[in-house]
Amino acid sequence: MAPLPFSPYTFIQCPCSDSTLLARPADAKSPTGADAEEDERTFDPRAPRSNYSLYPLEYLLYCEDCHQIRCPRCVSEEIATYYCPSCLFEVPSSNLKSEGNRCTRSCFQCPICIGPLSVTTQETRHPDANLLSADNAATPHSGGFSLTCSYCHWSSTEIGVDFDKPNGIHAQLAKIRNGGESRLTAKERKERRKELSHRGDSAAAAAAREEIEEQVPDLENQFANLKSFYNSQLADPTAADNGLSTLGDLGFSSPSSLSRIMNLYTGGKISDNKAKSRLGAIREALTPEEGLLVANLDEAALISQLHQSEHCDTASMAQITSQPPNLGEPALHGASRFTSSLRPIPHLLRTKRSKRCPVCRHIISKPEPKVQTTRFRIRLVAGSYIPSISIKPLTLPGPSGSSSSNPSDLLISLKPVHYLLTFKNPIFETIKVTLATPAATPGRFPSKVTVLCPQFDIDANTDVWDEALKDNDRSDKSSRNSGGTTRQRRGTEAGYQLEVGKIWERGRNWVSIVVEVVPASLRLEDGGMLREDEDILEIPMFVRIEWEAENAGDDGGIVPGAGGKDKDQKEKRELAYWCVLGLGKIKQN
Amino acid sequence: MSSRRAPRGEYIETDTGNKVARKATLVGTQNIMLGGKTVIQPEVMIRGDLIRSIQSSTSSSAAGAPPNNTAVAIGRYCFLSRGACLRPPGRHYKGAFTYMPLRIGDHVFVGLGSVIQAASIGSHVHIGARVVVGEFAIIKDYVRVLDGTVVPPNMVVPSFTIIAGQPARVIGEVPEGGHEAFELRELYKTVGNNPHPAPS
Ligand SMILES: [Zn+2]
Ligand SMILES: [Zn+2]
Ligand SMILES: [Zn+2]
Ligand SMILES: [Zn+2]
Repeated sequence: MAPLPFSPYTFIQCPCSDSTLLARPADAKSPTGADAEEDERTFDPRAPRSNYSLYPLEYLLYCEDCHQIRCPRCVSEEIATYYCPSCLFEVPSSNLKSEGNRCTRSCFQCPICIGPLSVTTQETRHPDANLLSADNAATPHSGGFSLTCSYCHWSSTEIGVDFDKPNGIHAQLAKIRNGGESRLTAKERKERRKELSHRGDSAAAAAAREEIEEQVPDLENQFANLKSFYNSQLADPTAADNGLSTLGDLGFSSPSSLSRIMNLYTGGKISDNKAKSRLGAIREALTPEEGLLVANLDEAALISQLHQSEHCDTASMAQITSQPPNLGEPALHGASRFTSSLRPIPHLLRTKRSKRCPVCRHIISKPEPKVQTTRFRIRLVAGSYIPSISIKPLTLPGPSGSSSSNPSDLLISLKPVHYLLTFKNPIFETIKVTLATPAATPGRFPSKVTVLCPQFDIDANTDVWDEALKDNDRSDKSSRNSGGTTRQRRGTEAGYQLEVGKIWERGRNWVSIVVEVVPASLRLEDGGMLREDEDILEIPMFVRIEWEAENAGDDGGIVPGAGGKDKDQKEKRELAYWCVLGLGKIKQN
Repeated sequence: MSSRRAPRGEYIETDTGNKVARKATLVGTQNIMLGGKTVIQPEVMIRGDLIRSIQSSTSSSAAGAPPNNTAVAIGRYCFLSRGACLRPPGRHYKGAFTYMPLRIGDHVFVGLGSVIQAASIGSHVHIGARVVVGEFAIIKDYVRVLDGTVVPPNMVVPSFTIIAGQPARVIGEVPEGGHEAFELRELYKTVGNNPHPAPS
């Protein structure tokens, strides 16, 4: 397969990556060097830190109060809504504490391939049976239901799990072990036990009781046993130190320290005077009913199973990590490593989030909380404040053509190429753009860069209606020159002269300029290897935008000396940032 | 453009602004609804003949209302690339096999050679090339499906999701600044018998 064609890109650096803006004294001594030095240095897009501060324009937000770009790394997020991505039902945040962060309806993913599982009747596997029955609609389901993957056709029947009802699968699954054996949840066990003790000590009851206790001590039951045991110990002031008091004087077994630890987790008061006054130690669990679990260190069965299985029978890391916590699995060495015992994965919930500016705390993005709506109440995206930059290889036809223009073509070392950078102004004011690039790109292979026109104005983004009218005008003429009347071309058709200091083309709210690059030679004297992405021609560019805005009067504008006295007066604004232009790949020789 | 209007262009342009390639295959056109300003490129196939054989409610036929036979409904400013295929999904329903309508919203791009058998696709959806959207999948608004993805049958893809892979899995979220990129008005102008050049 041919390598993917290179598509040019523009990444913009968020100011949060600038250590001088982070008012943390610790950063002054950071290994990146002194601040003064930092200012002098050209931004290096290949520096390890740069990866974390460069974003495509779409990913950036803008704070209108700070007049600054904000990125996904520096905004603070607040969750507005939790919802299931499969059934699209909203989950109240109060449910999250009790039910966890997964859908508790019937939304499951395949443990083998992650595809969606759907509830199917076992009967649909025999379509003949359907045809034979006289009245299909009235036939009650006798065969039960199972979860089936619509992609790889895995079925929950493979782990011996099927369901009585087609809904509430989550609750049903919690009570079924692999193989189909039903399992009592901790609550049910407690109730069952209580019931038995009321009935008295008949032989039948004793047998039933044994049956409950014989169940595999799974995570949930063991935790419940331990919890009730410790609670009873705490409640019993006369509890003597007659258990396994190996931790003796360290104080772990005293009721007061135990209640203190439990309070840490339940958020209660730390200084519980009652508990403190209660001296003396408590004992540890002695029976399985109290939560004692003897570790089974004999893994011979597991090893022999591994011997008999093939590589594909063992679950991959991805499969194991996407398994939900299974409260029904045996404690300690319970988690299985075989694909044959993986259980359906209830869908993780997703969120809708609003975002705040990290500096002034104003909200800069806020979605409508309803799951099914895509509207935003606030959405301050950087794309409506700073110009977009698009990159296109420039073709100069004729005998002196300087470059081949196919974007998928590799750049030839030392052969000059030209690129057209188009800046589009999104705001309703004329902006002045000033560009600066280093003469050579940073790194081991410096390519030469010349911006033919580093300073220019872009006209304001006029009203949408103007644009629409112009569009109609254009379609009538249906001419090749669709840029409108303001368009003017600097390179003449005959000569295609590239003039320094002149823009290439101008439109309603956009300007294109030419950048000339001489790709570096990728030859290494010591015959070493190229590092990752060293053949990609990336140029760092510093962009400064200046414009005059209506004085809103309420903001501490970033430009000093702006006439703040007169409200009608226009206010000078500026915004400057680094960006990286990925132009192409240099051919390796 | 040497001639102002070719006597017989590559596209048929309808009153509502649809641009349908002459070399596209539309079967059962009476069951295909186009909202307008939609581009259908050559070699696209739309199976309007696969209509519902069982009406949703049995009483409606008795009431005398004409049965709704829409097999494929497409909104405004959609773009079906060369070789794409739209096919209503089918299933057993009350013991008999029936097709169900395929509904597509506005500003939906379908890439080269992709096959769509979804129950519904929302608005502002970009489906890449060589994608398979399985039967009864539901794709909500503002979703990006990368090239070569296989969306399994019955999958639900919520809004602002980027999916990829075989089978499809969520690989990212559409950022706030990425909504406008789904607009297909400009792309619509670049196709047809009198196309405008792509905006620079
Ligand atoms: Zn940031
Ligand atoms: Zn759900
Ligand atoms: Zn599967
Ligand atoms: Zn702010």
